[in-house]
Amino acid sequence: MKLIFEKSFPGRIAFSLPSDSFDEIKLEDSLPAKYLEKDKKQLTEVSEVDVIRHFTKLSKFNYGVDNGLYPLGSCTMKYNPRINEKMAGLPNFVYAHPFSFPEMIQGSLEVMYKLNQLLCEITGMDQYTMAPASGAHGELTGVLVMRKYFLDHGEKRHKMLIPDSAHGTNPASAAMAEFEVIEIKSNEKGTVDLGSLSQAMDSETVGLMLTNPNTVGFYDEGIETVQNIIHDKGGLLYYDGANLNASLGISRPGDAGFDVVHLNLHKTFSTPHGGGGPGSGVVGVKSKLIPYLPTPLVDLDQNTGKYFFKEVGKKSIGMVRSFWGNFSVLVKTLVWILSLGSDGLYQCSRASVINANYILAKLREYYKPAYDRYCGHECTLTGREYKKYGIKTLDIAKRLMDYGFHPPTIYFPHFEPYADETIMIEPPESEGKEVLDDFIKTMIVISKEAIENPELLTSAPHRTPISRTDDAMAVRRPILTYDDELILKDELNYQEKDINF
Amino acid sequence: MRYIPSTEEQQREMLKEIGVSSFEELIASIPEKVRLKRKLNLPPALSEHELEEKIVHIAQKNADFYNIKPLIGAGAYRHFIPEAAKALMQREEFWTCYTPYQPELSQGTLQAIFEFQSHISRLTKMEVVIPSIFDGASATAEAALMSIRLTHKEKIIISSLLHPHYRETVKTYLEPHNIKIVELPFQNCLTSVDMLKQALDNNTAAVIIQSPNFLGGIEDIEEVTKITHQDGALLIQVIIEAMSLGLLKAPGNMNVDIVAGSTQSYGLDLHLGGPYNAFLATKKSYIRQLPGRIVGETKDKNGKRAFVMTLRAREQDIRREKATSNICTNHNLNVMAGNIYLSLLGTEGLYQYSLLNFRKAHYLEKELLKSGKFSNTFTYPYFNEFLISYQGDIKELQEKLVDNNFIPPLSIVQFYSEEELKQCLLFAVTEIFSREELNYISNLLSR
Repeated sequence: MKLIFEKSFPGRIAFSLPSDSFDEIKLEDSLPAKYLEKDKKQLTEVSEVDVIRHFTKLSKFNYGVDNGLYPLGSCTMKYNPRINEKMAGLPNFVYAHPFSFPEMIQGSLEVMYKLNQLLCEITGMDQYTMAPASGAHGELTGVLVMRKYFLDHGEKRHKMLIPDSAHGTNPASAAMAEFEVIEIKSNEKGTVDLGSLSQAMDSETVGLMLTNPNTVGFYDEGIETVQNIIHDKGGLLYYDGANLNASLGISRPGDAGFDVVHLNLHKTFSTPHGGGGPGSGVVGVKSKLIPYLPTPLVDLDQNTGKYFFKEVGKKSIGMVRSFWGNFSVLVKTLVWILSLGSDGLYQCSRASVINANYILAKLREYYKPAYDRYCGHECTLTGREYKKYGIKTLDIAKRLMDYGFHPPTIYFPHFEPYADETIMIEPPESEGKEVLDDFIKTMIVISKEAIENPELLTSAPHRTPISRTDDAMAVRRPILTYDDELILKDELNYQEKDINF
Repeated sequence: MRYIPSTEEQQREMLKEIGVSSFEELIASIPEKVRLKRKLNLPPALSEHELEEKIVHIAQKNADFYNIKPLIGAGAYRHFIPEAAKALMQREEFWTCYTPYQPELSQGTLQAIFEFQSHISRLTKMEVVIPSIFDGASATAEAALMSIRLTHKEKIIISSLLHPHYRETVKTYLEPHNIKIVELPFQNCLTSVDMLKQALDNNTAAVIIQSPNFLGGIEDIEEVTKITHQDGALLIQVIIEAMSLGLLKAPGNMNVDIVAGSTQSYGLDLHLGGPYNAFLATKKSYIRQLPGRIVGETKDKNGKRAFVMTLRAREQDIRREKATSNICTNHNLNVMAGNIYLSLLGTEGLYQYSLLNFRKAHYLEKELLKSGKFSNTFTYPYFNEFLISYQGDIKELQEKLVDNNFIPPLSIVQFYSEEELKQCLLFAVTEIFSREELNYISNLLSR
């Protein structure tokens, strides 16, 4: 549809100004002209109504969790409770300046302090830092903590072990700490191959970054041996919390020997994804690693009953961002935990595991999984059966849109035997049985269409604001701003600019 | 449980269809030893009503911040946000969706990001914009890493008037990479250009300088860029108070190579410091070394204009350890907020708001100086934040302001130990203050 710039009319405004413009203060009295832009920066000229209509229309081109099933694997697209949003929006939280005196922000500090206690109990860790802004940011924080720990102990370890099933952020984060990444193959059960792990682990290796259940959705049954292999050689075990939604109240990473944990509060803990963030990637550690956490932490003075920011000390890795954390996300997390309690958390994991296995059981005949076993909170299927009819998994995903579903994660993970046509489905606890039944029915219908009328799939989607995009052209001739487009205006020759949907 | 639709009965049916007699069978692969054999020790679940009362009670332990205006900025600025922006941000389609991997179901988010890139490009006069890194500090660190990849050099020069948290963050990110970091001293609230000349050599990857800087000072970026380029280094300009872009010369018109800019001032509330957002803006020739996501324009198969995430071969999900950064989830929703805010202000609004910030800050400085209790030890060009020395007791001043419902200015000794700065306060004044309030403040502090 038209860009906001294309709706601009000279003279229109959508803002208001106070009548007192302080015009006795002259720019030129205090600022040399060389610091000023000669002309006003050209943005838009639109009215408030124009802006409201524009963005309301844009919102209709999006699909969110409130619109229906959003079964992206390893993304935990669960319902975002409204009470969480309201509590994070309380004015006393919203308008708090980060450099306010501690006595002015006792409530905010209490939120951070209490959340730390709850997360420690849920995961079996000893202390969390609330600083990291996302899962990958938490990974970076975690691996820097591990790095500092070894440096402090006079050890130079430079390798990091990462399973082939891991998210791309794991190796990328390890690389940002200048670690050499060693990939560990999966075994015939789809989990960490203990022989390869044992062979790779040595005194130059920092440890292992593991997602459990892993990205295929399998609990690692060898976790005790994994722990021994890593710890016997003095290494540390890192837990990627992307899939914690399978384990609440069932198994805690801290009890399974993990030394560092990051949690994606925007996955397991119900805070919204926001179209790609902001989330939060808080990091928890065992006590021996607390001195290396980013500074500061929130503490409670037992004598005065007052909360305060405590410097971590000289061994800290330092700061990983400005200020203290993605605070509003922390409020939402606290509210969610308090609204569920221990039984509620357990029920979430139980329901999500049942959901995933139900889909696996009902669809395995049509979309063959690579392994014959139960899964955790997500199941990984494949669309390989339909290759012979000229159908790619991408076509199946696009066809799902016609039936009103967001597609699952596709083409991930990449490792054998999942090298191609992977479909990873995560139906969180907030999806009821009838939604799953509809989805299952649709997937079966699509499997029949793939054989009988493949064109329906290859030309899908048909009911979305746009059809499939030319991604190659976007790379070949990058148009990254409206001004880029203006240069190419004649050449582009769009059929239609104003989408009506 | 109100967030779990399936009933016990339905779950039993599902277990039966799966072919197991109990949930336990599904999780049999979790070894006994790592199972939790007790319930989690958490407070009992609260009803929504109880919960609301409890959290409101905690929030009340904070000051009544809505009614307490900050005379402090120091990297986080309270500006007015039009209600139209707040109302639009309530639309669930914007905030309950995932990263826009499926363009057919995400045109709303994708187009808004593209518009934001276009807005920032026009404000900075830079060719390419990465719309979202977590915050200004991490964006600055990413810019530093990018400059090292681009130049293959091993030294970074940082102005000591870069926000202290940003300096800390850059150090944390660079620490594993064996990079020499040199901090430039300052004079009269501006980065020392003489010392820059001394510090530069042909092994310098980049010079990082904030303008307006941490003390509010507007740096002579054109001059600094010229000097920096003589040694083949890149100039990274950090902008934290993005409101200044309404008036001040665009970095692209001053030959800056990379801009790391916080967009907290574009439609984001303070939230005790996060989540905010930051962009990275640079030249097209540096595109392949950029971290993070970017949206591009293309066509769909019917020839309609469409928007997609593009140039993805730099990213972690494709390149793994060879990616330009590990960043995945960013702060896209705050990009949406920024885009809506900039659309509402437009050409004239951003200029006028920016001018009001400048004028009100300079008005308060004048009034404070008149009182005789303050003196301007330093005179330097600034935007909406200025350093001023106070002759009286700083603690008393702070208390007085708190008692009168203002967050006091930053006492600068917290971050700079120089003797001459001991009595210095860093005031920030945005458009939210009226003349009456500013007069009241200066009267209050003159007594």
